[in-house]
Amino acid sequence: MQEITLKNISKTFVSEFKRQKKKAVDDLSLSIPTAEIFGIIGVNGAGKSTTIKMILGFIRPDKGQIFVAGRDPSDPDSRLKVGYLPENPYFYDNLSARELLTFSTRTSGLGKKESNERIDLLLEKLGLTDVQHHKLRTYSKGMTQRAGICFSLVHDPDIIILDEPMSGLDPFGRRMVIDLIEHLKAQGKTVLFCSHILNDVERICDRVGIMDKGQLKKVLTREQIHQGTNKSIDYTINNMEEIFLQTICGKK
Amino acid sequence: MWHRLFALAVLTYKEGVRDRALFGIGLFSIALMAGSFLVVSMFMRELSKVTVDINLSATAFAGLLLTFFVSINLMAKDMDRRTIYLVMSKPFSRAQYIWGKYMGIMLLIVVALLMLSLCASLTIWFTKSQYQDYFKGFIWIEFYKAVYAQVLMFGLLNAFVIFYSTITTSSFITLLFSISTYIAGQTIEEVVLFLKTEQADGMVMSQGIDALINVFQYILPNLSVFDLKVQSAHAIIISRDYLFTITCYSSAYTIVLLLLASMIFKRRELR
Repeated sequence: MQEITLKNISKTFVSEFKRQKKKAVDDLSLSIPTAEIFGIIGVNGAGKSTTIKMILGFIRPDKGQIFVAGRDPSDPDSRLKVGYLPENPYFYDNLSARELLTFSTRTSGLGKKESNERIDLLLEKLGLTDVQHHKLRTYSKGMTQRAGICFSLVHDPDIIILDEPMSGLDPFGRRMVIDLIEHLKAQGKTVLFCSHILNDVERICDRVGIMDKGQLKKVLTREQIHQGTNKSIDYTINNMEEIFLQTICGKK
Repeated sequence: MWHRLFALAVLTYKEGVRDRALFGIGLFSIALMAGSFLVVSMFMRELSKVTVDINLSATAFAGLLLTFFVSINLMAKDMDRRTIYLVMSKPFSRAQYIWGKYMGIMLLIVVALLMLSLCASLTIWFTKSQYQDYFKGFIWIEFYKAVYAQVLMFGLLNAFVIFYSTITTSSFITLLFSISTYIAGQTIEEVVLFLKTEQADGMVMSQGIDALINVFQYILPNLSVFDLKVQSAHAIIISRDYLFTITCYSSAYTIVLLLLASMIFKRRELR
């Protein structure tokens, strides 16, 4: 079953005053089946975040169709089983992590007992138990990122969309997130994952899509990435980086 | 649906009630009310009117500061700081977001005004106990009717805040529009009355201006109908019919504004 389907999606932004047009996404088609970890990589402005925002219904595509769990993103229920971590998440300053997570579970329809169990579990896993009642404005960047990851996972979603989840995390935090994503895969969850850190994408994802100028230039399976390594003979080359640069710049 | 609206309202209320500005506004208003006791002791007559007027003005002023600084912060900053992504990643429709936010803001305003009217009541009660002769005509229920009218006014003004937040992209513009609406809403009745009187006295006004004033008269809210300070201070009985009429006026205006805001916000792209 396809959890996320995008059919020939295009999106052009028009600037407010000069009315200049900028194509953010251009004829993008993509399907992500259940229990797959799909990574999107691309330079800044490649259209990764725009694609995610269209999947979540924040912005509408000019052309094409999107289905999330079989529903159109304009249907709020399409987000019932979706967890989302925005790039550089901003929170309400005066709330605590626990209050924020309670909001997430309640709006997703979890009962009080289940909600408390899930919140305790996630806070423990991400090392936020001791600061769960502190105001979010007192959190460091890494702690904020971890609170964002908790927010996206606490209601036990089937589809998880992570936009730069490693941003601001120390090596220990990154390791924690990688383990968490691998655990989600083992549970049969579908993960859409955007990152600039190519090593992480190569390591975690079942398939990787390379975006450039709004277009999905290439989709590679984990096997295809590793086959490339064998052919290149030189094992010291960072393989994902090579493929990425070849796709974007045509560099050999 | 209701559990989601309730969750968003509670989230908005909690974020607002812990805003540092709220404590400043509360302290300032309480100081003003307490100060009214000192001020009235300088008057030699009509102490009840001065006391009621100062206390109702302090409540209204606190409500205005809350609307212009805390409510706008809660609504427009959601867009400015992109906290809206977190809320809208949950299964909320755009209309539910608008109504949930409004409910949270109103919960905050009602709780704040209740607390302040309690403080005002204590001040009036204390002044009354000191100068009993001056408070013979004072009627408590008329004082609370005036507070109720203020709640209705802030209900309407905050619907404007929500509406402006959906059509602008900056909290500063929302603030400017909201302040302008308040000033225009408080004065439109007097302006229209003045111009009609001048016209009756022979002043010639261009048809265009006349038409424009007529349009503004019907589009802008008449906020002066919610100002019952004078009636309360002079112990003039405010009829139930009047209260019912202004309740319907405020509710209808608010519903229309929130429906319009929902429609506009549904089309807005959250970039």
